[in-house]
This record gives sequence, structure tokens and C-alpha cells, in this order.
Amino acid sequence: MSLQEMKPLTWTGILVAIVLIAASLYAIEDVPAFGDENSAANKYIKLFTIYSDAALVEALNAGTLPEEIKMQIYDLGFIKGPTCKGCQDENYPTLEEGNYKIEYIEKGTWLGGRIYTEAGWDVLIHEGEIFYNEPQQYYFIEEKYGNLSVFRYNWPVRVTERTEEETGIANVVTAGLADYRGYDTMGEETVIITGAICVILLLRRRGRL
Amino acid sequence: MTPEKKAYKRDVIIEVIASLMFPLTLLFGLYVMFGTGGTGGGFQGGTIMAAAYILYITVFGHEKGRENMPESVNALFKSLGLFLYNGAGWICILFSLAAAQWLNLPAFWPVTDFVGVPGSRSFLVSYMINVGIGLTVMASFVSQFFDLAWKEEEEMGGGEE
Repeated sequence: MSLQEMKPLTWTGILVAIVLIAASLYAIEDVPAFGDENSAANKYIKLFTIYSDAALVEALNAGTLPEEIKMQIYDLGFIKGPTCKGCQDENYPTLEEGNYKIEYIEKGTWLGGRIYTEAGWDVLIHEGEIFYNEPQQYYFIEEKYGNLSVFRYNWPVRVTERTEEETGIANVVTAGLADYRGYDTMGEETVIITGAICVILLLRRRGRL
Repeated sequence: MTPEKKAYKRDVIIEVIASLMFPLTLLFGLYVMFGTGGTGGGFQGGTIMAAAYILYITVFGHEKGRENMPESVNALFKSLGLFLYNGAGWICILFSLAAAQWLNLPAFWPVTDFVGVPGSRSFLVSYMINVGIGLTVMASFVSQFFDLAWKEEEEMGGGEE
């Protein structure tokens, strides 16, 4: 077929296909990989490691957070207020005296929907919420090979802190449905429309079977 | 069998109550569909609106229901919902702002500023997605109900021979 014989519809189809292919190539570059540990939602947060010390362990057992750990956490930017000039204000709960609570957790305990594979200290922070008035897990400190490793709890804490900033939605559930799990919801909608099309194909056969 | 229709029994009470309930149920469906700030969402809103149409078809019969919700409009809604959803995702990807997993909703802040709603960056996409889901769900359910009701009517009428 020569170019002059092509119908306008063919031209339009070819143009749309080219634009779609170009957009797909562009999108492939841009979409974060699934299961990427460094993507925003999946970040595994091990904050830092410091050398263990009898005094540090004793302080942790006594229920106070040592100054070394506290300063490191503040240095990472988990504070209230801006971390640099012109930055947005951070809104992390601070580790003031009386605001937090430290609990030692044995290895193999079920707590909060997960099993503790290592023994360690949980740092619970009282946020001062009116209706959910319990201290929440923020940091986990583990002693291993003479080191103290400080972890930060990932998903629930992240959702409560960051949803509005990242997505702009005040409702956490809507943000989870439409943003963080947007692909899943799109698949659900596709399932519904596929079911409807299958019912149409099966029921409108008018005696042909 | 003669092609004439069976006498369609009218019941005044049922018809009046249904015609009162139909717009109110549609309105309630819209309210749930747009209530993404609270407990609402697209799936439930679409289901409630489909329930309104199903009530209407059950009470007033198949043909009047078809006048209210023609097949062309139904097919349009069915695909329009999916296009709305995917269009939101495409725009977010094409603006190169997929910093969260897929739909980075602040991608729309210039648009909302232009419209005149600064500070509510997520407004457009949040509602766009949920309205898309609701339209698809409503049109799919109504279409399935129409198909099943049509089949039953044909069997009762003795088919085409």
C-alpha cells in the first residue's frame, strides 16, 4: 500500500500508536522498580550503629535514652522544625525526657503483628494524641557483636508522618488506596470491567451457542 | 405466541415510593463517591448508584429503564471510568513526578492553583480516580442486570418463534 492510498483513519491510528509507544518508553524510564528497597514506600531503615558500652546498656535498661543515640537521631533530621535554611518544617516527635518509654523485648515475642527475631529495646514515643492515647513504636535498638544498632520502624510510622506531605491527601486510607497502591486499585477496576464484558459476550448471543 | 406484551401490572404505591427513592439514592451514591475524605469511596458509591438503577428497572420495567439508561450511555460510562483512572496515572507519569509509587498527587498542584484552589493539591486526582471507579462499577452492574432481565423477559414471552 502506498502512502497516497492510506485512509485518514489509518493515519490517525499510526500517529496514536507512535505517540503511545513514545510515552511508554518515557514512562519505563520514570517508574520506580517494584520491590526497590530504596523506593520511598519500601525503605528499610537502619539508622546507624555505635559501639556498645556497659554504661549505654545500663542506661537503656534503666529506661533513659543515652545522649549519644539521641544526638545521632537529631543529626539525622528527626526533629521538629526545619533541618536547613529554607527547608520545610519537619514534624517528628522529639525525644524529650518523659515523652518516651523504653521497653526490653525478649527474642521470639509476638507483638504488634510481628515476631521479634532479635532481642532489643523498643523506644515508644507518646505523641499526645487525644483519641489514640498510647505511646507508639518509633525506634528499635539491638545489641549485637558489641555494637548497638538503631532501627526505625518503617511503614506505619511513615504513613502517619509522611502521607500528607507526599500525596497531599489528609485521609491516610484514601492515599493508600489511590496512591501507594494505585496499581492494585487499577487492577481491581480492570477486573470489574472485564467481568462486565464477559457477561455481555455470554448473554447477548441470541441463541448462538 | 402473539408478540403482544403481557399486561404490565401497575402498582401505585410501589411506583410512587420508587420514584421518590430513585433520585435520593442516586444523590446518596454521589455523596458516598465524593466522600474520600471520610469513609466513602468509588466502589461503594458506584454500587449504591447501580442499586438505584436496579430499583428503577425492577419497578418500571425493562423498556422504561432503557429509556433512562440507554445502552450507549452505559457503554460510555463503563469505559470512561477506566480512562479517567488511567489518564490520571498517565498524566502523573508524563509530568515525570512519580516520586511516590505511582501516582504522585502533588503533580497536579499547578493545575489546582490555576483553577484557584491552592493548598488542596490532591483534590483533582483523588476525586478523578474515585469518580472513575464509581462510573465503571455502576455501569458494569447496571449492564449485567439489564442482560439478565432481558433474558428472562424473552423466555417468558416464548422466544422469537
